Amino acid sequence: MAMVSAASSNPGPNQTRLPGTPDKPAGKPVRPRVVLAMEGVTKSYPNGKIALRGVDLIVPEGDFVFLVGPSGAGKSTIIKLLIRDEMATKGVVLLDGRDLARLKRKDVPRIRRKIGIVFQDFKLLPHKSVRENVAFALEVTGAPRETIGPVVDRVLRVVGLTGQADQLPGQLSGGEQQRTAIARALVHNPRLFIADEPTGNLDPLISWEIIQLLLRINELGVTVLMATHNAEVVTALRKRVVALEDGRVVRDQTEAAYHRED
Amino acid sequence: MIAFVAFSLRRAWQGLWHNRLMSVAATATMVLMLALLSGLIILLTGLDATLKYVEQEVQVVAYLKDSANPQDINLLETAVGQMPQVTEVSYVSKDQALKDFLGRHPDEAEVVNSLPANPLPASLQINLRDPNDYLDVATYLRNQAPVDRVLNIKQTVDQMVTVIGILRAVGIGVLVVVGLIVLFIIVNTIRLAVVSRADEIEIMRLVGASDAFIRWPFIFEGALVGLFGALITIAVLWLGQGPITTVMADYFKVLPVEASATVGRDVALVVLGTGVGIGVLGSYLSIRSYLIR
Ligand SMILES: Nc1ncnc2c1ncn2[C@@H]1O[C@H](COP(=O)(O)OP(=O)(O)OP(=O)(O)O)[C@@H](O)[C@H]1O
Ligand SMILES: [Mg+2]
Repeated sequence: MAMVSAASSNPGPNQTRLPGTPDKPAGKPVRPRVVLAMEGVTKSYPNGKIALRGVDLIVPEGDFVFLVGPSGAGKSTIIKLLIRDEMATKGVVLLDGRDLARLKRKDVPRIRRKIGIVFQDFKLLPHKSVRENVAFALEVTGAPRETIGPVVDRVLRVVGLTGQADQLPGQLSGGEQQRTAIARALVHNPRLFIADEPTGNLDPLISWEIIQLLLRINELGVTVLMATHNAEVVTALRKRVVALEDGRVVRDQTEAAYHRED
Repeated sequence: MIAFVAFSLRRAWQGLWHNRLMSVAATATMVLMLALLSGLIILLTGLDATLKYVEQEVQVVAYLKDSANPQDINLLETAVGQMPQVTEVSYVSKDQALKDFLGRHPDEAEVVNSLPANPLPASLQINLRDPNDYLDVATYLRNQAPVDRVLNIKQTVDQMVTVIGILRAVGIGVLVVVGLIVLFIIVNTIRLAVVSRADEIEIMRLVGASDAFIRWPFIFEGALVGLFGALITIAVLWLGQGPITTVMADYFKVLPVEASATVGRDVALVVLGTGVGIGVLGSYLSIRSYLIR
């Protein structure tokens, strides 16, 4: 396995970190743990389409990574591999040290709880209120009833939706809907936060609000991986950028900008 | 655990309510099948009991004319008792016959008492060493003056065995067909429920819900259809037990059918088990393909 390059790792201020985030040993400097690692990953879909061709990617804890590239480059495929919605055809995918190929079926849900994920299309349940949508993620993972309320309150505070908790998704703006989805993705104190084009359906101003929220989550110590076409955001933030093209990593730079060819 | 069951039940109920038309259809066909099943069980149990009684007990019954001379009857009884094929012969008087009948059908006392005279004939009940000797003995009896008619019990038994066999085969055949239809309807009901929840299932998977949380509500949903179907069937049988007993008693009037006390309980258990079993099987079949990954 390749050495971990100390990328723009920035463990956040500790007083605001989410409960459940492992404590850093105080005092001596430590090499950041690797949250996800892919090595020589190839993915071909059953229809013969090869979506990834030998991808290497290492993301240390606390990183904020933009995944860019033209449509069809393989960004969403990487994400599907990480949540083990799909399996790599070749190569190794490690999540928090676990080899996803060797994960037993019954252990998959537990691994997924280490990941918070949001999509362009929010994926909210239209007949449930904001609060119920968020609580749903806890109910269906068997959280004790009495713990659900406090956790929901906490994540709604993080995303700033306390006031809209009882509204239905249809009564919210796109940005508020995405913030609801983000709140839901936070309930299990994920180690990795994945956003697949989270601003794809939002206008620029609202997009910035969502980005600010993701930055804040990153500051709380959560590693963030965001697939996007949003050049303005990528260029402005000067974070690590991994560019894919036709299933290959063609660029992996820290404090980078969006290139025209992305 | 309790939270899990409560969650699954709540979702199962929501699912049934959401597709209530389909749920009602599934429950109704379930009731139809279970009613057929219990009818068959009750009928076969009755016939089997009758058969057992007939086979074990008296093999030839000779009904005597009311006008017969008691001395002739005495002579006949002695003569029959001395036949090598006969192991035992006993005389049942008209009074005794009536008493026996009322013992078996106490409800009929009023009807019987309202009759001007005792309608039941006296009889000779004869046990044979070998049931195959039936014809010899019956022929002999038929030619005796006091004998009105001979009940051909062996023939009755043979006929019954045939009828029971046919009933059982046809009944099971019909049940299997109806059972498959019910299964098909349940599979579709649950599949509809799964499809209408595709979004929820996707979210559940994304947030790390275990398979149990995704599957069991649907299993519960099928089980609930089975449970409701079974309860309705049992309620109908319960309400109908009076008429059913009367019809059965009428049907088997010649022979003493003792409906065993456990028949009702056994039928209820079978109905419950079959209903819930088919419900669970149906939902299992319909979610199996969908959730594997
Ligand atoms: N389930 C699938 N079956 C077959 N081919 C697929 C499947 N999913 C994706 N692909 C193909 O794999 C390639 C990579 O797709 P992917 O969704 O990863 O691209 P992307 O980088 O996310 O694109 P976009 O920016 O448009 O979202 C595409 O050519 C796509 O058509
Ligand atoms: Mg994509």
